[in-house]
Amino acid sequence: MNYMKVILISGRTTKQGISLEMGKTSEEYSNNVAVIMMNENDMKKIGAKEDEHVEVRTKFGSAVVRCKESRIDRGIAFMPYGPWANMMISADTQGTGMPDYKGVEAKISATDKDVLTIANVIERIKEIK
Amino acid sequence: MIYKNIVCTLCGCLCDDIEVVTEGERIADVKNACEFSRSKFLNHAKDRAKHLIKKNGKLVEVPIEEALGEAAEILKKADFPLIYGLSSTETDAQRMAVELAELIGASIDNTTSVCHGPTIQAVQDCGAAKCTLGEVRNRADLVIFWGCNPAEAHIRHATRYSITPRGLYTESGRKGREIVHVDVRETKTSKMADIFVKVKPGRDYELLSAFRAAVKGYDVGDVAGVPSETITQLVEKMKSCKFGVIFFGLGLTMTGAKHMNVDAALRLVRDLNDHTKFTINPMRGHGNVSGSNDVMTWCTGYPFAVNFSKGYPVYNPGEFSAVDILARRECDAALIIASDPVAHFPAQASEHLVRIPTIVIDPKINLTSLIAKIVIPSAIAGIECDGTAYRMDGIPLRLKKVIDSEFLPDREILKKIIERVKA
Ligand code: SF4
Repeated sequence: MNYMKVILISGRTTKQGISLEMGKTSEEYSNNVAVIMMNENDMKKIGAKEDEHVEVRTKFGSAVVRCKESRIDRGIAFMPYGPWANMMISADTQGTGMPDYKGVEAKISATDKDVLTIANVIERIKEIK
Repeated sequence: MIYKNIVCTLCGCLCDDIEVVTEGERIADVKNACEFSRSKFLNHAKDRAKHLIKKNGKLVEVPIEEALGEAAEILKKADFPLIYGLSSTETDAQRMAVELAELIGASIDNTTSVCHGPTIQAVQDCGAAKCTLGEVRNRADLVIFWGCNPAEAHIRHATRYSITPRGLYTESGRKGREIVHVDVRETKTSKMADIFVKVKPGRDYELLSAFRAAVKGYDVGDVAGVPSETITQLVEKMKSCKFGVIFFGLGLTMTGAKHMNVDAALRLVRDLNDHTKFTINPMRGHGNVSGSNDVMTWCTGYPFAVNFSKGYPVYNPGEFSAVDILARRECDAALIIASDPVAHFPAQASEHLVRIPTIVIDPKINLTSLIAKIVIPSAIAGIECDGTAYRMDGIPLRLKKVIDSEFLPDREILKKIIERVKA
């Protein structure tokens, strides 16, 4: 499978912020938060086009989200804060209380799998051993 | 009714010039607000939680008394309860939460541990030359945004305080200010800046240290992807401005060196004060997260991550911070108030909330309420009940009530739980 390694950063976006207030179980929230923003050349490399699904994996977990082209450097990818990004982040804070929300190594590949719904995300959390 | 000078409690800017127009029991219009704020006011009645208890695996609606009674029972019985959240409520509720924590010997933590916790640790280490947003508005001629994106997270910061407003000594507004943005990627904030400096991910500490060396006159060369000339040019601007300010965000607190990144920034500002007036302020996120630190500090002596199991407060981020307690599966019950850890914590930490009885007090249905044992809805502070909130620069502002609510304020709910725990 064609995958590429990136540094994954998560953060706030306007759309995420507005859809938060619409309700986290709303479709807007999923549409605006279950996404990853990538450099266009990185998208070409893994064979993914705008709004197509990609699987993002780290040592700690994985999630399927839609990809979006963005003005970001090659080798960096950005996800809005939210339960999809949370699947990929370690709960080990190295004694600081703060997880590494920004700067996790991740692998991204194109996929035919569906984007996880909020209900799926909750189920996945329940299944963690 | 038209209500003027209403405080928006959504983000740490706490804009206090919002106009809210109500028609009967609904909010009909909001003026002066940013997109987030409009969405918050106009959608306040949407997606409201109900009083729920999980019975046979399903959340079912119950009378308020039953939800309060059951919540008190759970907290009373627990050996190591966790109380977490507090950033989206007002100071009286925060104070009641501390009282409850002391009563039941809980660990109490606020959302600071996953936003500016590292900032507080750094300030405790070396102090901070802070200032109010009013001083920025009236005096600042060099504004540096580092690892933050106010254009998308604190939308009116630029127009009210930091980029365009005209003030006492900043009569020429935008023209009289030099704006710099330092970040790992270009964002809407970079477009508002005169200079954008791209730092390599995870290398902020190096760059900040290079600035400190350059301020002391050393030739530092290219650092963290930033050319030597840019560093020299910026250091000149920093030393020669009349009033400089660095606003920094989670780009410093959430990457690699965490509190050490902030430490380097605070020390850079301290060094710059040998040359001119320079200040530094964290861009606090949630409306009253700053208040949760102040309230916990005046009640317990410590701003977050406090444990009461010995009967007196003990502070230790990394040990008594919520993510760590959950990841180590230490707590045997949790009370989550005015925040949504399942939406924001690493999934590995949220998982423990599924295993233990979790009580959620929140106005809205959120992701944590989907996995909770008990859900108790509350009135929205600053819309449906009054109170006090602290702005990101530590200025307390009075919140007003603009619409009646069928729900109790957080402080009342906590008071009733405390009464039942004591009974
Ligand atoms: S900038 Fe922040 S406080 Fe001001 S209106 Fe927008 S969300 Fe509210």
